[in-house]
Amino acid sequence: MADVRPPAPGSVLVSDWHRCKESKEFFNKILHKKMRKNFGLLESPVMPPQVAVDTVHYKIFISGKSGVGKTALAARLAGLSIPNLHYETTGIETSVVYWPVKLKDSGRVLFFRLQLWDCGENALRRFDHLLPSCKEQVDAVLFLFSFTDRTSFDDLSNQIAKWMVPPVSPVVKLVVGTKFDLFMHCDVAERDVKLFQERWRLPLLRVGGEVGDGLGDIAPVLNCLAEQLWHQDCVTAGSAGIHTQETETLL
Amino acid sequence: MMLQDGSTQLLCLTASSGVPLFTRGASRQLPFSVIGSLNGVHMFGGGQGVVLSCCETEGGGKVVWRVFQESVMLIAVSGGGPGGAGSSSKEEEARLQRLLENVWNCMVLVLGQDELANMRNVERIKRDLRSCFSLIDQLLEERHEGFLGNLTHCADSLLPPNPTLVQEAVDGFAQAADSEFGCLLVHGRIAAATEKWWRLAPQEVVLLSVLMRSLSASGSASCDYPVFLPHGSPTVAHRLLRFHLLPGADVCVLCGPTPSLHRAESGLVGRFWSPLVETLRDCLAVGERCLPASISLRPDMLALLLINRETRRSVSCVRAPTNHPLSGPPLLSKARCWELLKLFYSFSMTRYFSQEETLCVSPEERTQKGNTEDFVLGFTHQPLQCYLVTEECKSFGLQTAQHQLFLVTPPSVPTFALRTAATQTLSDIVTATGF
Repeated sequence: MADVRPPAPGSVLVSDWHRCKESKEFFNKILHKKMRKNFGLLESPVMPPQVAVDTVHYKIFISGKSGVGKTALAARLAGLSIPNLHYETTGIETSVVYWPVKLKDSGRVLFFRLQLWDCGENALRRFDHLLPSCKEQVDAVLFLFSFTDRTSFDDLSNQIAKWMVPPVSPVVKLVVGTKFDLFMHCDVAERDVKLFQERWRLPLLRVGGEVGDGLGDIAPVLNCLAEQLWHQDCVTAGSAGIHTQETETLL
Repeated sequence: MMLQDGSTQLLCLTASSGVPLFTRGASRQLPFSVIGSLNGVHMFGGGQGVVLSCCETEGGGKVVWRVFQESVMLIAVSGGGPGGAGSSSKEEEARLQRLLENVWNCMVLVLGQDELANMRNVERIKRDLRSCFSLIDQLLEERHEGFLGNLTHCADSLLPPNPTLVQEAVDGFAQAADSEFGCLLVHGRIAAATEKWWRLAPQEVVLLSVLMRSLSASGSASCDYPVFLPHGSPTVAHRLLRFHLLPGADVCVLCGPTPSLHRAESGLVGRFWSPLVETLRDCLAVGERCLPASISLRPDMLALLLINRETRRSVSCVRAPTNHPLSGPPLLSKARCWELLKLFYSFSMTRYFSQEETLCVSPEERTQKGNTEDFVLGFTHQPLQCYLVTEECKSFGLQTAQHQLFLVTPPSVPTFALRTAATQTLSDIVTATGF
């Protein structure tokens, strides 16, 4: 099946919704004393009964060379404390992110439950069963490279190509460049990034540095991911002949 | 006098050629020449048919050596802090020996014994060893208050108010995950585990708890970690699946190739644990006290450690001392109480009480054990109780066939009352919980 063309940013979801006043009551559910709330698997954000909100579940795999910052990105998106030393992840670790969004056309609010799957590269190499487990029923892949590590950027094409081969069911693909703030050590030129984007036509996001307590620094990544995932679902549902309200408004 | 915990440095080298593999701990690394000499002196001893296992410097520092599988040499160096010299060297040596043993077990847990015993490519092993640093650093820091398992090799446990319910849930959950090994951790302590879990070697139970705590502290939702069991399965990896049920409550199972993490999480976690959310919250409410609220502890008690010698489990707690507005001397901090409890445990175990034989003891260790036993025999009897009075606190230890209890009280408690306090505490807890 042909891959889904990524939708233009802001065409499916209300962008910067976390800044709107009306989103407060939803975002408050994922916060606790101004920090992100840590949910156990038996918990989820609960809205009052009159504002029932559906939750949609997705599995996202984080791919990238050792040391590019997979664990740090997952921790950051999930609002967990970021380890100050680099330790290798010696198996699979998943973290859950709840993220409220508003669909642009219908005005419907949804909670995205994004489960990020992070697995150390060395562990993947040493144990054969880990990669299949990460790939099982996966909905999206984040391809990470570090702006301070040229080889991690050069390796991207290889990594992405592996996910292009059929019969892999369609997965959302997103490229994230980490450590963008360390421009003194930047090893990847803007020109190369542009060429790469022209070739692969995948959304590319830059993260780094600024660890604010707010949601502003993670909103672009999470919104972009949610938008792609929702769009892909709609296209899949549409091609299977199931017409939901959302797909009609989209297609 | 009892000494403050100093900083410890750990060196790892290849046993055959002395190539440094890694060093951890202490901000200032030892110079390469010193590392070389430490290895050299051990090797020299080896050539003369002598096993060098420990030495002490003039400043009260200590060095402990140990070779594992004739392949890896671990050296622990602890700097004697101010006033560090003196009678505490015995406890310090025991602590470092334990540390080396734990570090080795850690390395096996992550990499497996084969890779460590047959080092073909030193550069590769160096790279792979980096995977162990997270756990090793945790062992070195030992700042994790309230956990004594590394020292006692008994599983830090929490006695839940409703043991039957959680036990059934753990058993059922493990079985559904095709596993005989399941365990529920509340605040990092074992609240319930399957019968087979308790049959793992005590060091393994403790080590898996350390691993679970570090995974849980990261806040991640679930994990699928390949682990080798240092004694039970040092060459074949199992999968440790861990699920973060509620903040502070984690369940894990050790299993084979199935089920996948995805399947176990989506199919089993909710089914077995959703009905128990309230029960789990009751367990969480027990908190650091580790004992159900129904058991009242004497008000004049600062710290307590109770070990079940048969099941190799322990419960421990420190009471936050409440400051009397008029009382004179400043009260001890919680951290200091934990430290005193640890030190008194080491003091009693190295001098009077006997340590349970841990599995897989090396020949050197056995000689050492033999020496202690000779010493103990020197008493012509097995000591059952001991006490220690210092300026800071009073401590009392007692052992029965089944239990060992260590108690720390403020100096204000009359010495003659210590024994009654200890016997009464022991019988109170054992009667109420069957621990």
